[in-house]
Amino acid sequence: MSLKGKRGLGAIFQDQVVNTRQYLEHVKDSTTGTQGRVVKIFTNHFRVISRPELITYKYNIDYMPEIEDGKVRTDLLCQHKQTIGECHIFDGNSLLLPHRLQKQKTELVSRWGTKIVKVTIEFCSELKPTSVDCLRYYNILFRKILKMMDLKQVGRNYYNENEAMEFLNHKLVIWPGYITSILEYETSITLCADVNHKLLRMQTAYDLIMHVDSKSQRKDIKDITKELVGSIVFTKYNNRTYRVDAINWEETPRSTFKKSGGEEITFVDYYKEQHGLVVTDLTQPLLVSKGKWKKSQQDTPHEPIMLVPELCYLTGLTDEMRKDYRVMRDLAMHTRLDPEKRQHELQRFINIVQRHKTAQRELQLWDLKFDSDFLSFSGRIMKEVRILQGSRAFNSHPQFADWSKETRSGPLLNVKSLDYWLVLYPRRNYGAACSLLQSLRKVTPTMGIAMREAKMLEVNDTVQSYITVLETYVSSKTQMVLCVLSSDRKDLYDGIKKYLCVNCPIPSQCVVARTLDKPQTLMTIATKIAQQMNCKMGGALWKVETGLRNAMFIGIDCFHDIVNRRKSIAGFVSSVNQELTQWFSQCVFQEAGQELVNGLRACLEAALKLWYKHNLFLPQSIIVYRDGVGDGQLQALIEHEVPQIRSSLKSVYGDEVRLTVVVVKKRINTRFFAEYHGRLQNPLPGTVIDVGVTKRQWYDFFIVSQSVKDGTVTPTHYNVIHDTVHFTPDGIQCLTYRLCHMYYNLSGVIRVPAPCHYAHKLAYLVGQSIHQEPHYSLASRLFYL
Amino acid sequence: MEKNSMEEFQQSTVARKNVIEFRPPLYKQRYFFVKDIVNQYKPKKVADLGCGNATLLCMLKFHSCVQELVGVDLLMDRLLDWNSDRLSPSVGDHLGPRDLDLSIVLYRGSAVEKDSRLLGFDLITCIELIEHLDSEDLAKFPEVVFGYFSPGMVVISTPNSDFNPLFPASTFRNSDHKFEWNQKQFQHWASNVAKLYNYTVEFTGVGAPPPWAKHVGYCTQIGIFKKKQPEPGSWIVAKPTGSSDSQPEEHTYQVFGISICLQVFTASFPSLQQKHFLLFVLCTEVLKEVEAIRQKYVWILKRKESNEPESEEDIDRSLVRRPGLFLTDAQVAQIEKSPKPYSVGKRFYVPLKRLIGYPKVNRLVGDVSTLRTLLAEGIPTRLNRAHTSVLIDLDPYDYPRDYYS
Repeated sequence: MSLKGKRGLGAIFQDQVVNTRQYLEHVKDSTTGTQGRVVKIFTNHFRVISRPELITYKYNIDYMPEIEDGKVRTDLLCQHKQTIGECHIFDGNSLLLPHRLQKQKTELVSRWGTKIVKVTIEFCSELKPTSVDCLRYYNILFRKILKMMDLKQVGRNYYNENEAMEFLNHKLVIWPGYITSILEYETSITLCADVNHKLLRMQTAYDLIMHVDSKSQRKDIKDITKELVGSIVFTKYNNRTYRVDAINWEETPRSTFKKSGGEEITFVDYYKEQHGLVVTDLTQPLLVSKGKWKKSQQDTPHEPIMLVPELCYLTGLTDEMRKDYRVMRDLAMHTRLDPEKRQHELQRFINIVQRHKTAQRELQLWDLKFDSDFLSFSGRIMKEVRILQGSRAFNSHPQFADWSKETRSGPLLNVKSLDYWLVLYPRRNYGAACSLLQSLRKVTPTMGIAMREAKMLEVNDTVQSYITVLETYVSSKTQMVLCVLSSDRKDLYDGIKKYLCVNCPIPSQCVVARTLDKPQTLMTIATKIAQQMNCKMGGALWKVETGLRNAMFIGIDCFHDIVNRRKSIAGFVSSVNQELTQWFSQCVFQEAGQELVNGLRACLEAALKLWYKHNLFLPQSIIVYRDGVGDGQLQALIEHEVPQIRSSLKSVYGDEVRLTVVVVKKRINTRFFAEYHGRLQNPLPGTVIDVGVTKRQWYDFFIVSQSVKDGTVTPTHYNVIHDTVHFTPDGIQCLTYRLCHMYYNLSGVIRVPAPCHYAHKLAYLVGQSIHQEPHYSLASRLFYL
Repeated sequence: MEKNSMEEFQQSTVARKNVIEFRPPLYKQRYFFVKDIVNQYKPKKVADLGCGNATLLCMLKFHSCVQELVGVDLLMDRLLDWNSDRLSPSVGDHLGPRDLDLSIVLYRGSAVEKDSRLLGFDLITCIELIEHLDSEDLAKFPEVVFGYFSPGMVVISTPNSDFNPLFPASTFRNSDHKFEWNQKQFQHWASNVAKLYNYTVEFTGVGAPPPWAKHVGYCTQIGIFKKKQPEPGSWIVAKPTGSSDSQPEEHTYQVFGISICLQVFTASFPSLQQKHFLLFVLCTEVLKEVEAIRQKYVWILKRKESNEPESEEDIDRSLVRRPGLFLTDAQVAQIEKSPKPYSVGKRFYVPLKRLIGYPKVNRLVGDVSTLRTLLAEGIPTRLNRAHTSVLIDLDPYDYPRDYYS
């Protein structure tokens, strides 16, 4: 049954039981490195200082007839408190008790509405107090505690309505809340807690439909569909969220549907009767939601849910809001907490938990106690990385992890001259185009870029116009097309990129005219554009010594088009030369929601072929950084993806070749803080943590590689799941950190190794804009930068 | 008590034999009956004695007239385990606050104890309650509910035993029932109570009998009691509803020294009566309105640029009307008369005097000076210096951004 699968071990917990370290002989004793300067680190975890020491008992609960609703299931079971006792944890499917019931199988009768339901409690297994299954129950218990503390559940997390912040200017509300998880780590079980914010908009789907475009007066159905489909709406009457899958323009609130009792009722009457809500516009269309999108449930058909736009609040930020600096500034001020504030909030949270009477009573039933201070241990700051740019060498700034000044003040590592290139601009942006060219002429000589005059071409503000002009003027000699855009309209950008990536493969650079408005930033922007164009044409900006010879590096990331549920795209980027300045980019299209790359073999073979062509021998080792792995997919990665890579390699080499696979995870709730001058601050770039919150069964570590201006830095988690290169902990940590210095769109350190980010950029461009495989001739250029 | 298991059980088994089946189920019909009463009489304060799992309260919380909901039941723990968030304000209640305040309070306690917190109610419902009372409690019931609580209206429902022969088993519908009255018994009891405490009573019910057994009456019989209004000039002074100070405070726990009626749950809902939420909703509605007007305004500007000849009047009219905005002719006329929106440079202004004409704004504040005061507090940066107009950018996309790729 689909239900059972859903209520099985949660995704995060599935990964917990995967033991990858058992196969890694060389790190059997220790996964801890030693290099670097030791620094005391605090983390947003609270140690569990007391927990049940005895065996607990798990019971399966079955309902006859079957009941779907979790709340009802709970109620039906709780009618028998005298049997199961006050001390129990129920996850909707199974029950955890600290004691054994008298009978192996207990049958009880509960009442639910008109029905009488038979509830069967059947013994399932004994659980050790540290088992993952047991931890899962503690997490359920903790969620119950959050509810007791008057936090409101929205989606997965819990929020505090009393501290809601309203942004009246932007029609936005933010509810502060918490994300928590109780998991086992190397030395202890901890409660990880982080601050989270829920953004709610005071706008309904109806407002959006009625929002008339000032350009065209009436928005057409296509535009509205584009804006609404894929968004998550919140219905105020039942506190639920739905994903909009379609808009039904044929139906109106006057349409009828069948209630559970079987009678037909119109939507207007239903909402009036049930919730006292008045639908004012009886001609509005209805939204269609297919319900929760779960991979496991893809095959089970269910009735789509129809929603009245007027009653659906929009959630999340739109692209438009994202681009509005005023909105973003105000939001950032309240949601981006610096380390001190974050610590303060979390300290307050744990204090409330410790003092809350009902919560404590519930915790005491299970003898659960938490430490009231952040967990702390030592981390290490790795040595700064030397950046080599031609004859010059310099270090990344130890605090800001940046070398933009150094890069632009001398020749680049590998320069491509701009001989034949086109500049396209709409008439009204002629000025912007000219000043950009002027600035480029000023900045390119220092960087060593020889630039000839571009061919200036005027276009109209339409995709077709850009394409027509390109069709006329592009020749085999054309190296680069620079497009000045009047606005950041997505269709324009997408249209141009699609044409220049697929139909007529030429590296291209788009600039929105407005970014060129400010004279004070023009030089910086021109410098960046010159660097980007140089990379897109196959040049290189700088290099970093990796310390590893004859190795090929691969980055893999996935893009899921959740909006249109189109095919997912996996970006596969591999190094071509020893210096890691050239990369080979391929992508694989796969079915929606599918995470694992199936077309790996072809990519890998092509990558090796190209490496061979450049180096005249095959790489001695392959290092794969795999990003975009969802929770619960670790096992599948080990069972399918790694073997596929290995067998592909074997077929090329005829023998096993040294291979390391590292899973990269950016979305984590663990944060690290370092104490400087008596204040908690972000750890310096290059801080590596491989104790405390790493796992015993994994060869894993965290690196804080980037520097953030405000807020708390998010560390990246690395999990070495396969390693026949036999890296020492210091070796792989250092290598990983160095790779974070090689992303050519930023003269600074980024969050993930460069190949991962290239793969991400590629998958994103293909998934968002061009929806097709880019032309092969571009594959060895960083055209997606 | 929420429902009778035997009754429901029999229905579910009997239904198959095609004898008696209620659609929607009888317990729902009883709730909808109360909802109809609430719709009809618009009580402010409603108490449900024997509220069970609070399903009725959950349904009544959506009625805009209700401002105070109280539930009393002997067994309350089970309810609070999982049901409390159904009675608490949700995110939606914050985003779209009610017009009037609403508080929900649950007491664990007996329905036949005098508790001053239940004084001054407009409606008290006892759905399938009295048949669960033993003779002692039943004797106390009229004095407590009608004599002491003395609400404007009482709705009592109870099984009709005349109907029972239609069910195959001829026992009580629920094992906890102390009695089940036939129509005559119930009406006799109810009429006496009504007479004694100066109420009128009328009888009805839900669950109509099948056509071949009309005489048995409704499956659930219901008595609607209304307090008699004093005749003009009469010496009886009706207690004002909503105030309980005329009576001596008499919490049950004060009387007996132990806590019998214990407040176990309380929730207060956001509403437009609370300034904070009024401000929030008002600013949102004003900005939405101003943005919509701007869009129309810009569109007209463009039409003018493209030299499409149009009369001033047409322009005025098209500036007011837009899809999704429902205005009466009088409202349109009022808006057209008011000062027009205008633009200066990159800014667009809508006078408050014009905004007040829009129904969604007008619904929240009635006059310009209140509107001005509230907006000055909520969105001060969106008011012009003289505080006479709301201002926004004429071109919403005209702001500096970082974008090049």
